[in-house]
Amino acid sequence: MSKYVFKRLLSGFFTVFFIATVTFFGMHAIPGDPLSSDKVMSEASKEALNKKYGFDKPLYEQYFIFLKNTAQGDFGMSFTKKGQDVNDIIKQGFSESAKLGVLAILFAAFGGILWGALTAKYRNKWPDYLIMIFVILGISVPSFVFASFAQLFIVFLNQELNLVFPYRGDGSFVSLLVPALVLGLGTMAFLTRLMRSSLLEVINSDFVRTAKAKGLNSWQIFKSHELRNSILPVITILGPAIASITTGSFVIETIFTIPGLGKQFVEGVQQNDYTLIMGTTVFYGSFLVLMVLVVDIVYGFVDPRIKVGESK
Amino acid sequence: MAEKVLDIQNLKVEFDTHGGIVQAVRGVSYSVEKGKTLAVVGESGCGKSVTVQSIMGLIPKPPGRVTQGKALLNGVDLLSLSDKESRQYRGRDIGMIFQDAMSSLNPTMTVGEQIAETLQIHKGMSKQDALKKAVNLLDLTRIPEAHKRIKQYPFEFSGGMLQRAMIAMSIACKPQVLIADEPTTALDVTVQDQVLELMKDLQREEGMAIILITHDLGVVAKMADDVAVMYAGEIVESGTVDEVFYKSAHPYTLGLKSAMPSMERNSHTGLVSIDGTPPDLFNPPQGCAYTARCPAAMKLCRSRKVEIFSSESGHRSQCWLHHKEAPVSVTAPINRFSGAEV
Repeated sequence: MSKYVFKRLLSGFFTVFFIATVTFFGMHAIPGDPLSSDKVMSEASKEALNKKYGFDKPLYEQYFIFLKNTAQGDFGMSFTKKGQDVNDIIKQGFSESAKLGVLAILFAAFGGILWGALTAKYRNKWPDYLIMIFVILGISVPSFVFASFAQLFIVFLNQELNLVFPYRGDGSFVSLLVPALVLGLGTMAFLTRLMRSSLLEVINSDFVRTAKAKGLNSWQIFKSHELRNSILPVITILGPAIASITTGSFVIETIFTIPGLGKQFVEGVQQNDYTLIMGTTVFYGSFLVLMVLVVDIVYGFVDPRIKVGESK
Repeated sequence: MAEKVLDIQNLKVEFDTHGGIVQAVRGVSYSVEKGKTLAVVGESGCGKSVTVQSIMGLIPKPPGRVTQGKALLNGVDLLSLSDKESRQYRGRDIGMIFQDAMSSLNPTMTVGEQIAETLQIHKGMSKQDALKKAVNLLDLTRIPEAHKRIKQYPFEFSGGMLQRAMIAMSIACKPQVLIADEPTTALDVTVQDQVLELMKDLQREEGMAIILITHDLGVVAKMADDVAVMYAGEIVESGTVDEVFYKSAHPYTLGLKSAMPSMERNSHTGLVSIDGTPPDLFNPPQGCAYTARCPAAMKLCRSRKVEIFSSESGHRSQCWLHHKEAPVSVTAPINRFSGAEV
């Protein structure tokens, strides 16, 4: 097991290395360099930057400097946000995005499993049709539409019922609920479909028939026989979904004014903030690799047939 | 005469399909006595599995439905009970084992837990007690190192071991009836023999009745006390194993017997088969379902529903040749009854 994890971490390291390399050369392939901004820069600060990043040196030397800094976990200072370390920006942004993201994932996972199970149990009956209509909406309608309508709805409710439910992020837990729901909606819809088809397959399997023959009721059958055997595809999707959702969504964070990582990332790209783009990209890549590894390890616990890291 | 533990009376089962309604079981009656084994034989699709699955409440509804009939377990009609009530009997009074043990066990649950589950729900045992009992049950089915085995998953068992574990699971609550739906079809011959021996021994010890569904006449000869031959959703012949084998009273039974590979027969002639195919159960024939394939078919067979004829000993056959006015046929050397209608 530990050998397997080590091997996976090693290959993950190479993946991240590759991501960093591609980002680096991509950044340098676009016109303009980090120093050619509109603002006039003093000679002194230019020199300091050159000293740190080697902008006056050939590309390959810059690359090695970048790799060395990255390996030490140092992404440098932001070029556009005065006096801010990229590491601090990521730390702050990620802590906000992760709070929102974990909530969203919880909504998506539990919602997806619940709705998926209901649609499979009531296959081709009205609950199935009703839920599947919402699922198609959830998959096809962009999140900013839902976000705007959700905000409108909160404001409307507040007016009608004299409530003060926050319609945008104010740092409180309650204010995260609606954005998290909207953020998780697409994933929830997708997971519902996945859970439905996977459960339908399991419902018709021989071992469920055996369980019925033993005299179990449908809840006992679902709990101890159907759920565990149908949940594997959901877990597969959940890994990358955790990575992409917890690292922030620009749209949701902008609409609900939550200072998360997604917003920083997009702003970095818009403003051609060299260090911020590098930092966020490498961070996102590493996190994704880690989550996929976690999912592979969780497999082994859910399905005993999958022996993680045991070669025969 | 011993008491009937399970008595199925005139059972009819239908399935709705896109092509119409399939009449899978068309009035089946059979019963099994305490401590005895009834073998139900017939070719694929003749309704032998559907019959037992419908009394266990295992056929999916819809599209399936039981339109008529009773299944009396010690006088209680299982088919008239609510789902909640019939669950009490399933697994406790009737145990069931299936053909493919590998796919019939939950791959993500240890074998011990799956055996214990039955005891937990029917006997209200705690998990620890039930697991201890599971070890005993595996011992009983002659699985070595049972205390280790209960912690393993189905994929760590061999096919024969799995079928034993399956048997252990189905007899956990000491059922009165054990239904075995082709229990040895997926096993090779030596393992098949061991599993059948095991079932026989358990029957002797526990005194349970067994309904054995198979299409292997060798298995029937080894295991059964009584035999029911099914064709196109009906019982065409039933009786003791000797009666059905040596005094066959239906042309279909003769056909089945002659289709058995034989050591003596010249290997150059190849395997014998019954010509034709079973009738379309969307629209079953008015008369005898076997008419089209029967070498002794008469005009009457095509148009008139066959009555059941019976000998004094209770050997029954659903064939017009037993009628007292039927001509003496040479093409079907069946054992004629003296024309007693039921």
